[in-house]
Amino acid sequence: MITAGIDIGSITAKAAVVEDGNVLGTKVIFTGYNVETAARKVYGELLAELGLPADAVERVVATGYGRNGVPFADKAMTEIICHAAGAHHLMPEVRTVIDIGGQDSKAMAVDHKGAVRDFVMNDKCAAGTGRFLEVMARALEVNLDDFGNQSLLAPAPAKISSICTVFAESEVISLISRGEPRENIIAGIHDAVAARVYAMAQRIKADPPIMMTGGVAKNQGVVKALERRFGSPISTHELAQVNGAIGAAVLASGI
Amino acid sequence: MERIVEEFKKASADPIAYGRALKEDGRKIIAFFCTYTPEEIIHASGVHPMRLFGTTRDSSAADRHLQAYCCSLVRGALAQALSGELDFIDGAVFPHTCDSIQRLSDIWRLNTAYGFFADVVLPVKLTSASARSYFEDVLAKLRSDLEKGLSTRISDDDLRASIRTYNSIRASLSELYGFVSRGASPLLPGDVSALVRGSMILERSAAERLLKELVRAHDGIGRKDTNLKRVMLVGGLCDHPDIYRLLLDSGALVVWDDLCSGSRYFEGAIPEDGDPIANLAGRYFERAVCPAKHSSTTARARRLVEAAIRERVQGVIFLQLKFCDPHAFDYPYLKETLDSHSIPSMLLEIEDQLPPEGQLLTRFETFVQTI
Repeated sequence: MITAGIDIGSITAKAAVVEDGNVLGTKVIFTGYNVETAARKVYGELLAELGLPADAVERVVATGYGRNGVPFADKAMTEIICHAAGAHHLMPEVRTVIDIGGQDSKAMAVDHKGAVRDFVMNDKCAAGTGRFLEVMARALEVNLDDFGNQSLLAPAPAKISSICTVFAESEVISLISRGEPRENIIAGIHDAVAARVYAMAQRIKADPPIMMTGGVAKNQGVVKALERRFGSPISTHELAQVNGAIGAAVLASGI
Repeated sequence: MERIVEEFKKASADPIAYGRALKEDGRKIIAFFCTYTPEEIIHASGVHPMRLFGTTRDSSAADRHLQAYCCSLVRGALAQALSGELDFIDGAVFPHTCDSIQRLSDIWRLNTAYGFFADVVLPVKLTSASARSYFEDVLAKLRSDLEKGLSTRISDDDLRASIRTYNSIRASLSELYGFVSRGASPLLPGDVSALVRGSMILERSAAERLLKELVRAHDGIGRKDTNLKRVMLVGGLCDHPDIYRLLLDSGALVVWDDLCSGSRYFEGAIPEDGDPIANLAGRYFERAVCPAKHSSTTARARRLVEAAIRERVQGVIFLQLKFCDPHAFDYPYLKETLDSHSIPSMLLEIEDQLPPEGQLLTRFETFVQTI
C-alpha cells in the first residue's frame, strides 16, 4: 500500500511517500502564507519526482500546525503522534523523542509500538526552538547550516543566561562587542537551547534510547549539547526533518 | 432548556453587568472570591453574594500593589476594584485560603472603600481537635459583623432558610452534572460549567427555581457521544468556556471535575435542622478539600482516584492557574497517585487568557488520542 504524509510546520512544509514501510521519497519547501497552497505544492512536486499519479496513493494523513488546512488529507493527526510514529519507524528501539521545530519544542515518551506514552511541549516562548537559533544566527552573521559545525570547534562555550529570545540576543550582542570568539558564542547558544529542552523533558520520564527529530536535529551543536545534558547518546537520522511526515504516512496505512 | 442555560451563561460571562442591574433594582451586593466563603450567612442577611472571577481586560492598575508572582485571579480582581468597575458592590468577604488572597484582602482594605469588609480566617488544619469549634466562632463573628455592618439581624431561621436554598442549588447542580456524565442530557459539559459559575452570580432564589426547572425538563434522553473519551478537569478556577469546546473538538467529554468553579462548589449538603452555625461549619470539614487546606496527607489524591473510577474517567487534565502555589505543590503527588492507578493525565498551565488555540488543540488531541 502506498500512503503519504504531509507535515505543515511553521517554517517548512514536508511531504513523504511510503510504500509498505519503505520511504519512497520526501520533499521540503517553505510553508509561506497559505497552508493549502504549500500542501498542494510539496505533495505535487514529490509525486512528480517519484513519477507517481495521485491515485496511486491510497491514503493521506496531514500533520503539523496546518494539519486542518489540507483538504485532500483523509485524516489530520497531531505532530506529536506523528513524530513518535516516525521515530519508531526509523528506529524501533527509541523510547524518547526530542523534536525541536521552528516554533516549538516537544519531548515524547514512546512505547515499544511507537505510541505516545507521555509528552510535554513548550507553549510560552521561542526559547528552545528553531526560531531562537535563526535569530541568533542572524545576529552573528553566520549561515544557519554552519551553526552546528562552528560550535563543535569552540574551546570554551560562552554562558548565555537569558531564557528570553530577545534578551538572549542582546546578551549575544554584548558578547560580540566584548570580543568573545564567535564559535564560543554559538556553543553557548546551543547549550542554552539544550538546557531549556532538557528541563522541559524532565517532566516526562525520558528513558534512553533518545532520538532527536525536527529541523534542528540537523544541527550537531544542539545534538551534542543535549547529549551532555542527558548523559546519554542521542540519535539522529538523515530524514529527521521529515520525520513527522514519514510518521503521518506510516499512520495513514492504519486508518 | 436552552433559555435557562442561556441565563446562566449570560450571568457567568458578564457578572459585572448582572450585578449592576441587580443593584439598580435595590439589592445590596457583597463580593467573594472562593468556595470557602460561607455564602449562606451573607445570603441570610438579605444581601446578594456574588463571586468575582477576575478579568481578562487590562489589569495594570493592580501592578502597583502586586508582585509578578500573583495569579491572574487576584490581579484581575484587584484591578477591577481599583478601576471603579465594582462601584455597585457594598462590600467583600475574604476567606483566608492562599497567601495571595490574604494579601489581596489587606490591599483591598487599605486601598478601596466599598463599605463592608470581613476576613474569614479559616482553620488550616481541618483535622485538629479545636478546628471545628474555632471555625464556629469565626462564622459567628462573621454573622455579628454582617449584622453590625449592614444594620440588620440574622436569625437562626434566616440561616436555615438560606441553607435550604443552597442545599437545593447544590443538589440540582449535582444532579445535572450526573445527567451529562451519564449521557442522559442534551446539555454539554460547557453548559454545566456555566450553570455552576452562573449559580455563584445569579440571584439565589432565581438560580434555585431555574435549576429545579432544568432538572425536571430532563427525561433521560441524552446525546449520543459514544466515541468521546471521558475526561476529568482538576485545578482551581476554570473560567474558560472554550476549554470545554476545544476538548469536545478533540474528542473528549468532561464528565467530572475537581474545580472550585465546579464540583467543589456544590458537593456536600448541610443539615437543615439544629444549630445552623455548627451545621455550616460542619460542611467545611466534610467537603472536598482545596489544596490551600489540609485534611490528611492523602485525602485529595484519594478523592481524585475515587471520582475517576466512579465516573469511568479515561484521562485527567490538570488546569494549573499560573502562580497558584497550593495547586502547584499538590500536582506532583497527585500525578504520582494517578500514575500508580494507571490513570493518564496531562498538565496545562492557564492564565486569564488561554494559550494559543492551535497549540492547545495539538495538546488536547494528542492526549485524547493516547488515552
